Amino acid sequence: MLDKPASALRLRERLIESERLMDETGCYDGITELSLRNQDPLKFETLHTKLRAYCVSAREMARRISASPGVREVGEMVVAIYTPEGDAIALSNGIMVHVHTMSRFIKWMIKEGYEENPRIREGDIFANNDAFIGTVQVPDVMDVVPIFYEGTLVGWAGAVCHELEVGGITPGGDVCLAQERFTEGLFVCAEKIGENDEIRRDYVIRCERNLRMPIYWVLDEKAKVASCIDMRESVKQLISEIGLDYWMKVSKEFIEEGRRAQLARTRQLTVPGIYRGHTFYGHVTEGKPGFQPLGDPNWLYNIPIEMEITTDGKITMDFDGTQPWGYHSMNCTPAGMDGGMFVTLTQHMNFEGLVNDGAWMATELKLPHGTWTNPDNEMVATATSWALLLPAYGVFQRLLSRSFIARGFVEEAFVGQVNSPMIEMGGESQYGTPFGMAHFECAAAGSGALAIKDGLDTAYVGWNPESDMGNIEVWEQSMPMVYIGRSIVPNSGGAGKYRGGCSFVSTWLINKTSHLRLHTSEHSSRVFDNGGMCGGYPAPTCQKHRAVRNSDIHELAAKGAPLAHAPGIDPHVSDYQKNIGGDHVVVEGPYITAPHKAGDIFSHSYNGGGGYGDVLERDPIKTAWDVENGFLTREAADQVFGIVLKDDADGYPVADIEATVERRAAVRKQRLANAIPVADWIAAERGRVEKADFAPEVKKMYASAIKLSSRFTKDFNDFWNVDAISIFTPGAKP
Amino acid sequence: MTSYSKEILRDLAGGQLPWPQTRRIMSAYKDDDRFFKMVAVYQDRVAWKDPILLPVSDHLFICQSGDSRVTRCECSHSFGDYRKNWKLSAAIHVRNTEESLREIYPNSDLPDPQWMEIREFICPQCGTLHEVEAAAPGYPIVHDFEPDLEGFYRDWLGKPLEGT
Repeated sequence: MLDKPASALRLRERLIESERLMDETGCYDGITELSLRNQDPLKFETLHTKLRAYCVSAREMARRISASPGVREVGEMVVAIYTPEGDAIALSNGIMVHVHTMSRFIKWMIKEGYEENPRIREGDIFANNDAFIGTVQVPDVMDVVPIFYEGTLVGWAGAVCHELEVGGITPGGDVCLAQERFTEGLFVCAEKIGENDEIRRDYVIRCERNLRMPIYWVLDEKAKVASCIDMRESVKQLISEIGLDYWMKVSKEFIEEGRRAQLARTRQLTVPGIYRGHTFYGHVTEGKPGFQPLGDPNWLYNIPIEMEITTDGKITMDFDGTQPWGYHSMNCTPAGMDGGMFVTLTQHMNFEGLVNDGAWMATELKLPHGTWTNPDNEMVATATSWALLLPAYGVFQRLLSRSFIARGFVEEAFVGQVNSPMIEMGGESQYGTPFGMAHFECAAAGSGALAIKDGLDTAYVGWNPESDMGNIEVWEQSMPMVYIGRSIVPNSGGAGKYRGGCSFVSTWLINKTSHLRLHTSEHSSRVFDNGGMCGGYPAPTCQKHRAVRNSDIHELAAKGAPLAHAPGIDPHVSDYQKNIGGDHVVVEGPYITAPHKAGDIFSHSYNGGGGYGDVLERDPIKTAWDVENGFLTREAADQVFGIVLKDDADGYPVADIEATVERRAAVRKQRLANAIPVADWIAAERGRVEKADFAPEVKKMYASAIKLSSRFTKDFNDFWNVDAISIFTPGAKP
Repeated sequence: MTSYSKEILRDLAGGQLPWPQTRRIMSAYKDDDRFFKMVAVYQDRVAWKDPILLPVSDHLFICQSGDSRVTRCECSHSFGDYRKNWKLSAAIHVRNTEESLREIYPNSDLPDPQWMEIREFICPQCGTLHEVEAAAPGYPIVHDFEPDLEGFYRDWLGKPLEGT
């Protein structure tokens, strides 16, 4: 129970009152006028800047406490300051996806009556990593502490770190083998884990006894608590300067201002209307060890999105028509979906001014019940929700970009984020100790192209705008593998006038261990889970794993013979196969296999982004540079882009402009010769649709979408002029 | 108030501005007069006279063509009423075999053509590749964008379209 409530209302009633005021007035907490901002705009802005500085400073301090290379090197952490009701006022940089998921966590505790039991008191520490309460996945462990000022609850400070090991059925953080909640790892469900600013010893013991690598989790807890206390004390100092009444009012005006700014930005940058797009995700586990036969082993998910921008500036995203949740690790909760929306908005529209929860309040998500976006069963696993979240919000970025192009802001158009498959590992470390870890170099994939330039190479992921792959030497300290290669993957960006950003591939020699379990997650190898835009092509699908067991690399090294440091550019025979002896395996992800041991070789490719614009408009000179530097192959330059390259005196590629013009004219002619009117294609394809002449996974996808969505069914029927129900769900009632 | 010349916006849209200058434009407050200036840039680019009302892709524009509003390619080809899906009036080339997918992905692993195909939507007059869809076989062609053209001009630009 609050010692001295901020108002006559108790916290739960205050939260309900705040929501009622929002419903009634359309403004956050019923704030219809920004009176403090109007009185003294400079003071208003300065105060918010201070709050933001508190957050950034606290996060940087905390990263130095962490032992995790994910937090220290890659920056997998975010902190924020909240109102007593749990709405974000200000936040740091980092994994901003969690600013709003923490908001859900705080509100959940308030609504569940935590004031009475376990009570909310000064010095308490609460933690959570349950996605149905408020996070994305088990490794995203969040801590919040209440901020009291002279006995009154005046806000919350919160922090999230992405844990590298969570004690699930497979080692690491993104537990690919989890098919239900019970195999995802250690859950902390809105639990009071500390009092009087101290983490409870029994909680630490539970972590130490249930994790493969507790040092990461436990020191991250200390880092988070330190950052929360740091922010709390800063806020208290600020209140002593500006007064409690001013704080209680201004902290809410900040959020209402953020909401209004988001609406204004939408009206400034976009065009009202309805935007549509889709992407897919292919999930393949057939024959892989460890998967329980709880459902079909292979799934194809469609992710259609309809975005509406109304003339008042509100953005609504509707996932109607997508697939049901499943017995796999890729389901998502509404909290995760909110988080995806929030972090995407911060990158494209909400990147200036008072960045806070107000932006989220100016949007709406429609998440159909029973789908992967909003499961109607809280036992489902969400261990790798990013597998579907990233493709989905990549679509959102393309839809927003269409609106930026229509409004003339071409420099803001961006083909979007992509999945970046992760490696999880565990077993015996190079020091002979048990260990577990997620390798986070995945946080530096290629980005989609922009409408005015190529995408970013090895420098972007959707969940953290501060993408970083980390230093090789630091990763090598943490795992029993040493790098023998890390290089750009040629052609890994989608082709286009502007190509997508390229990804990279790493190759490791497994070292000083007799038992290394390697697993990977977020793989879509059968289908593109990204897209191009305005004529650009999608980036390639996830690449297969190439590994060598019992390699002869030490013998080769002793002889000074050439090794292989990357898979190479022949999709049929890798450079490993050409140069290294041993038992070669090529595995379609996810990689779930017997443990590796010292002397084995393993490689893993990350994903690039989609392309923008017609390939025949790509700059030949830039392309020659790309070929010279390994971003494109000569084959791609010639075959995909119609660019003729010749060698200069030193053997470097240079564009033959005249020959290119000629070749492109021929390609364009051939393009027209190969194409047919869409009406003819539809007429021919209709027969295939009527017979449902598709792979079993495709048929299952249609049957599921039809079952869940009358709109999808109607659109399908209208387009093909068929009865989808009788084709895909014979016997079902219409 | 931030504002840029038509020449700068032309170079920006053409990807010709030096990166430092582009970066400054990206980071600066947005220019509220952008829309009509950018429309003027596009109008200079096309050889036809129909007034452009809205760019909808890299080389596609909604324009006023007599009494009707149509989606038109930069080359002048009309895809018909802007409220209808222009893709249905385009030419299409579908890549649904390993061989045809390999032409675009010469050095990478490929998707399974039983699960996924690439559809290229091409202007039947000039051969420009306007859009690429990656979709499961049988998936309806998506109608990318239905702008609220009248609401946009009336409520956001303050210049209602004639005849509305």
